[in-house]
Amino acid sequence: MPVYLDCNATTPVEPSVAALVTRFTQQDFGNAASPIHDYGMFARAAVEHARNLVGKVVEARPDEVIFTSGATESNNMAILGLIAHAHKTKRRHVITSAIEHKAVLEPVEYLERQGFEVDIIRANSAGRFCVEHLAQVLRPDTLLVSTMHVNNETGVLQPLDEVEQLLTGHDALWHVDAAQGYGKELEQLKSKRINMLALSGHKIFAPKGIGALILRKQDGHFPPLQPLMFGGGQEQGLRAGTLPVQLIAAFGEAAKLALRMHAAREEKCIAFRKKVLALLSTLDVEQNGAERWTLPHSINISLPGIASDQAIRALKNVIAISSTSACTSHTQTPSHVLAAMGRSPAQVESSLRLSWCHMTPEVDWDAVATILHDLHKTKT
Amino acid sequence: MDLFKRLEQTVNKQFEHGDLPKWLADPVLEVARSPHLYQDNEYLVELLLQQVDEYDVYAEAGCCKWAYDHEDVARTLRWLKEGK
Repeated sequence: MPVYLDCNATTPVEPSVAALVTRFTQQDFGNAASPIHDYGMFARAAVEHARNLVGKVVEARPDEVIFTSGATESNNMAILGLIAHAHKTKRRHVITSAIEHKAVLEPVEYLERQGFEVDIIRANSAGRFCVEHLAQVLRPDTLLVSTMHVNNETGVLQPLDEVEQLLTGHDALWHVDAAQGYGKELEQLKSKRINMLALSGHKIFAPKGIGALILRKQDGHFPPLQPLMFGGGQEQGLRAGTLPVQLIAAFGEAAKLALRMHAAREEKCIAFRKKVLALLSTLDVEQNGAERWTLPHSINISLPGIASDQAIRALKNVIAISSTSACTSHTQTPSHVLAAMGRSPAQVESSLRLSWCHMTPEVDWDAVATILHDLHKTKT
Repeated sequence: MDLFKRLEQTVNKQFEHGDLPKWLADPVLEVARSPHLYQDNEYLVELLLQQVDEYDVYAEAGCCKWAYDHEDVARTLRWLKEGK
């Protein structure tokens, strides 16, 4: 089997996390909404324990954690859930960046079709959105600013600290898509200025199908969101539906490990990165995204003259990698992120994303080098 | 720090400086000092640690329950004893 180097798409599940999924599927399968017997009580205790653990990573209170099916749902809730409030207050100006995930861009496009005014801020060649541009388009009636934490294609950490400064004293709501960086970069998401945070479980070694929307309360009140689903009143009336206890418990365990093992995981990812960079230094490659802002577990490169698909196919028996976001790769759409960073079509079409984690085994880098050198020779 | 040591420290803190009553602190201390009996049930010990750390006599007061009271702690202790 090739070594899996696509951890930005999804991560393997930690063994202790998988053990909890099994436990709450086979043995302790109660419904958290039925705390009238031990099955239900234990399920409820597990959910509240997980809620606490998930919130702790970003210093949120447990009552600010709303469990969802994943970051896509959380992003949709944070953006589309504001429609009623926007109409009521007549504030229909929304700002987001050109390098957001489609789970943000498409709901924002929907708002635009509904008559909202939308400004899309530029990104620079380092892979970061432009805070100066954000400052230019920010208006007194801006309802929402939606920015990502870490880019899913490049692994570049975004300037949230600068956004925080800019938005201090402004009453626009601030939503952060933290799917890619939650549990990996621990400081920026603690900002109390962030009103809404979208989280994903399967990017931090929990299973797919679980995430959360952190809604930070101000003066005891949630941001003015309307639920997108009705029928049960779960999650404080914001997200109806029976709670998937096994996934929630797993997400809690994964969040706990993300905090506890942060330093050790980062060290392993840095050591792995050094090997990747050593290999790349022998090749004719261009890195997409500034190295100084890129998180240790990810890198995006372009191999001039070699199409992404060709490289992925050639390497498929040694390493499993991708060319773009997992959510858009099936559509064969060229990366809107790299395009927004000013990369040429040729650079975009030859881009590869390698992403790893603390569980990634050793790679036969000599084999990778040989394949890439051969591809390079074929090209010339 | 070891999970059981953290539990012991937290119980002592909540007993001396918080509202945790002696009748509840004693059985939790018994768990904290018996890792050989409970080390295979780390999940419940962690749950107990959280409940003791966020113990609040008035957890059930108000509209929402965002802390843990004596019933929560006692129930987790029972689950631990039953080997759940």
